[in-house]
Amino acid sequence: MNKLLENKNIIVTGTARGMGKQMVELFAQNGANVFAHARTENDEHKLYCQEISSLYGVRIFPIYFDLKDFSAVKDAVKMIRGVKLPIDGLVNNAGITYNALFQMTDIEELRNQFEVNFFAPYLFTQYISKLMIRNRKGSIVNISSSAALDGNSGKSAYGASKAALLTMTLCISEELAAAGIRANVICPGVIETDMIATMPEYVTDIQREATFLGKLGTTVDIANTAVFLLSDYSSYITGQVFRVDGGVTEYKKRQ
Amino acid sequence: MTNLEMYKQAFCEAFEITEDKLAGLKYQEIPSWDSVGHMNLVANIEEAFDIMMDTEDIIDLNSFEKGQEILSSNYDIKF
Repeated sequence: MNKLLENKNIIVTGTARGMGKQMVELFAQNGANVFAHARTENDEHKLYCQEISSLYGVRIFPIYFDLKDFSAVKDAVKMIRGVKLPIDGLVNNAGITYNALFQMTDIEELRNQFEVNFFAPYLFTQYISKLMIRNRKGSIVNISSSAALDGNSGKSAYGASKAALLTMTLCISEELAAAGIRANVICPGVIETDMIATMPEYVTDIQREATFLGKLGTTVDIANTAVFLLSDYSSYITGQVFRVDGGVTEYKKRQ
Repeated sequence: MTNLEMYKQAFCEAFEITEDKLAGLKYQEIPSWDSVGHMNLVANIEEAFDIMMDTEDIIDLNSFEKGQEILSSNYDIKF
């Protein structure tokens, strides 16, 4: 198998579960060493990192900090820098969701959405991109959401915070290009995760039927796209938004 | 290498200039000290002194002398 990320060193936030956890495995499978972030230190995550490391013969560094704690973010960057590996990729995957109609959206929750989904990756990217600048190369992949583009009901807070992340990515793709750093956005549609599993079946049925491909996305679909964007196969791609949603947008346009 | 030598080297490498151009040098005074050059300078300084500069210090760093002042007062680097 061709390893697309051989000898690359990649940081991923939010790897305790779902898409981030899948990314750790797929990145490792493709030959990358991974700094795997989670908010809370726990044995399950540590064990997972050890298993992936042994299975694929790469280095997995579990790192734990709360993205809302800016001083903890700084300490984490110092730790990453201390490992003395050139940083080739960053995936800002960690995020939180929130569903509420506009008139029922709590302002504190709105702030919380922006804090986690926008301010935290903004700051973290400021720090990590400086490490990339030294090496004159790097790839930043920000996980936004189809909600940032589609304006779904009940997603005004979440969607706006993810739209902010999307726009930031487009801006930095131009600013950091001179330093050899690329930046792209992935907008997942509805992805089968633990969170989706808690939804009523009729809701997921509607979402499944709303896609061209007639199925929900998987964490592997998102991780595969991230692998491509982190790899040298996408070396001429920057400032782009990738919808990974099974074609749901086109379906909507025809209604 | 002394701190001053490392500091000078960070500037010279970031802007591809010689040491005799450093005294009094200000942001955007030469073509290579533009916003991109500024990013390179910050990266060089951080690596040379093993520090992480705060955003406000990165903004305030607008001359060769001001940079020394910031490093001395905020990062305990003596020249």
